[in-house]
Formats: sequence, C-alpha cells, structure tokens
Amino acid sequence: MWAVIKKEFKSYFLSPVGYVFIGLFLLMFSIFFYTDVVEYGSTNFEYIFYSGATVLTFIVPILTMRLFAEERKTGTEQLLMTSPLSITSAVLAKFIAALFVIIITELCTLMYFGILCFFGIPDIATSLITLLGFLLLAMSYISFGMLASSLTENQIIAGIITIGFFVLSWFLPNFSGVFTSFSLINLFSKFVYGQIDIADTVTFISFTVMCILLTIMVLQRRKSVR
Amino acid sequence: MIEVKNITKKYGNTIALDDVSFKIEEGEIVGLLGPNGAGKSTTMNIITGYIEPTEGEVFIDGINMLKNPKKAKRNIGYMPEGVPLYGDLTAKEFVTYMAGIKKVEKKSLKEKVNNIIEQTGLKDVQNKLIRNLSRGYKQRVSMAGALVGEPKVLILDEPTVGLDPKQITEIRSLIKKLGKDHTVILSSHILSEVSQICDKVIIINKGKLIAIDTPSNLENKTLNNNSIYVTVEDANNKLVKIVEGIENVKEVKLVTENEDGTKQYLISGNDGKDLRKVIFASLAKENITIFEMKKSDATLEEAFMKLIDEGGEE
Repeated sequence: MWAVIKKEFKSYFLSPVGYVFIGLFLLMFSIFFYTDVVEYGSTNFEYIFYSGATVLTFIVPILTMRLFAEERKTGTEQLLMTSPLSITSAVLAKFIAALFVIIITELCTLMYFGILCFFGIPDIATSLITLLGFLLLAMSYISFGMLASSLTENQIIAGIITIGFFVLSWFLPNFSGVFTSFSLINLFSKFVYGQIDIADTVTFISFTVMCILLTIMVLQRRKSVR
Repeated sequence: MIEVKNITKKYGNTIALDDVSFKIEEGEIVGLLGPNGAGKSTTMNIITGYIEPTEGEVFIDGINMLKNPKKAKRNIGYMPEGVPLYGDLTAKEFVTYMAGIKKVEKKSLKEKVNNIIEQTGLKDVQNKLIRNLSRGYKQRVSMAGALVGEPKVLILDEPTVGLDPKQITEIRSLIKKLGKDHTVILSSHILSEVSQICDKVIIINKGKLIAIDTPSNLENKTLNNNSIYVTVEDANNKLVKIVEGIENVKEVKLVTENEDGTKQYLISGNDGKDLRKVIFASLAKENITIFEMKKSDATLEEAFMKLIDEGGEE
C-alpha cells in the first residue's frame, strides 16, 4: 500500500496537478486574506477558511478526477488490479495520497497565521478547530471525487460530476430547510465559529467512509462486468 | 501449474468464452493463438484475475484465483495488451513501484530491481521517463514490471506487437530465456513466432477452444502432408499423363513455368503413401529430367487456417 501512496503522491508533483492545486488555492487564499482580514484590520484567521472552503469546492476535482479514471483509460488499472494488492488498499492509498496534498496546503496557509501573530493575537483554539474542520471537509470532498473518478474513464466527466454534486449540496438548503444538514459547507461553517459539533464531525467522517466503501464496491463489481 | 476449468464469460447475451478448459504444466511456454476478437485477451484477463469468469474456475499452482486472489496473484507476472505504463515515472521508478505492489520485501527490493533492470537490458535508460522511451524499450519496461517479484507464471499479451524486426528477435530470445525458469503463456497472432518459441499451442476461435497440442503435431494432424513439389524439364508435356497413371495419385497441378523451360508441379497423393520413389522411377523411364523434388512442408499457418475454418462451419 505504501508503494501506491508514494507513487500517487509523487505523480501529483511530477505533473503540474499538485502545483496547480496548491498555487490556485493559495492565490485565492491570499486574496481572501486581504479582503477578509487585512481590510478590516482583524486577526480572525478562521474567516479566510470560510471563503477558502468555497474555493476548495471548485478545485478538489483537480486532485481527484484522475485517480481511477486515468488508470482505467491508459490500462494501468490492469497492473494494479492483477497485483496481490487488495482493492481496498489501492483505494485507501489513493485517498491518503490526495489527503497529503491537502495537508501540505493547510501547512502552507500557516504562514498567514504567522503574519497575523506578528501584528496581533489570533485565537489559536478557533484556528486549530477551523483547520480540523477544513481537513474533515476536504476528506469528504476527496472521497466523493474519488468515487466519481471510479465511475468513468473520462476525467472531465469525473470532474463535472464532482463539482456538480458539491454545488448541489451547497445550494440545496436555499430551496428547503430540510436539506440544511446535507450541505457539507454548512457543516463546516460551525467549525469556523470555534465549535466542534460531534454530530457534524460524525457526518463528515461517515460520508467519507461511505464514499470510500462505494468506490471499493464499484471497482469490485467491475471485475465481473468488465 | 495453471489449470483453467470450464470457464465461460458472458457479456449480456454475447458469449466471449464458451466452456474453455486446459492445463499447463510447469516450465512450458504456451502460445495462445486466435484471430482478433477470439477471446485471447479475455482468457488472459481471467487467468490473471483482472476479470471474473461468469462460470468456471482458475487454479494457479493449485491456488483458486476466485477464492484466494491475493495468494494466487503473487505467482503471476502480467504484461497486458498495449503495454500500459505510467509515463511520468522513470523506468526504474516503475519497476520499483511494481515491486512495491507485488509486496517484494523491503530489504531485498533494491537489489532485485537492479537485477531485473540488468536482465531486461534497461540499464542505459533506467533513469529516463517512460514517456520518452521508444516502443521497444517500453515493451521491456513492461516485461520488467511483470518479472519483478519472482512470479512462477508469466503472462504476456501480444509481447511483440509494434516492434521492428530486430526488437522482435530480441524480445523473443528474452522470452525463450525466461521460459527456462518460468511457465510462460503468450498470446499472438503471428504464427511463426508461436511455432518458434512455444512448446505448446492453444488455438481459440469465437470463444471456443479448438485445439491444444505441440506446433509440429498440429501441423501434421491437420494437413494431408502428402504433397510433393517436382521441378522437371518436360518439353512434350508428358508428365501429367504419366503421373496421373500412377496408383494413389490424387491430383497434379502446374505451379509455375520457369524461364529456363523447367516446370514445377504439385502432386498430391492419398494419405500415408510416399510417392517419391514411384514418381522418380516412372519419370526416369520416360527420360524426363528431374531438377528438384521435395515434400511440401505443412506450416502452422495452414493448420491454423484450416482449424479456424472448420470451427466456423459448426
């Protein structure tokens, strides 16, 4: 499993994908740093993440759309699926590799925290909780993106399914209050206020687990219909 | 070493493989032969555990592929059709990755990877990106990926497709060398290749197993191997009449008229009778000079075509 994590992580940075993702995120993050924090002279590090989450919604597919779709298209899937590695390990490895990129991105954002520390006293607890919430949101996003990637051999379609689902889940609460808890971004917003809501945490984690299990099932099922 | 038991693969209503069974012993090099779309790749994909058969079972070294895939897959090195590779890795990184997913022990990993790179002749290009390698080298990289982890069985899907003649001979000799300590299955539609390298041939057509035998047995079995080519100087065209008068001769055909006035005929006789002696004697009696006389060699190609046609008539 380690071999796959290493290879996947490496190929994020052998191709422009990893740099594009981190670069785009940090670029938008810098803009929000200016408009949400510098403009108001506040030290609320967590506010940038509130805007950052919307950016994440649109750029997560950059990381996830290739995960299985590309392997299927180029046929390298055959190498992976005929190795003694189980499908579960392969899926988890790819998930972890993508998560590593998110963690690196989060670590990069700490420089803004450093700047805030220099000019004022940001709330460390709230900031950490926000980072945790952001990681949970990213986990759910990646797992869904991976599921979409396992459904098709066309990366673009995988990307569109992913963004489509995220946007839908984002705006559903606008149509009816029933959907409030279905919106992943809404769940994240509570973390920004410094609350760790157990129900929300469990929702994020169970959504992630569900998507990973579905991905495994999709790949397992394809063995018999392929 | 490999046992395929009654495998059937259906896609909806289309039957890709129909009740195919065969056994391959340890150390054999076996060629899987058939026209395009016959089910060669499907068979290989089922043996490697990439796809599951609708019915039937596969055993690799006695281990059931469907019930214990992790263990069974350890014994297999697979080089899929069209040599899929990760273009953004170097040759060495790729082989190391393959060693990793095949669970080669960390301690000996480096050494084993280096050995295989040496064995497949990739040393000069090991640090180049696979995307920039030539087709021949890509084939070798794919082969190296299959070889790593010391599998007992090597499965090579169309290993020489798209190579130039020199590369083909190189890959063939590599396969022959590997056949000494591996059981090898290779698929091909190049018949000469199969008859050169393989100990055994499995012919598949339209999802059905038509024949399994050694190349030379197949040639003998399927062809009426009793045809003789004679080249003679026969100015008065007496040959046809004379030869047709000989017992057991079925047919005489003029093949070519050469510029020097000689003619080549194909004489076919009834099974099992060697006609060369009689023909020689009777032609000599009539003062017809024989320039050349040879038995026609049945080729695997003809055997193959015949089997495929017979299969089609069913």
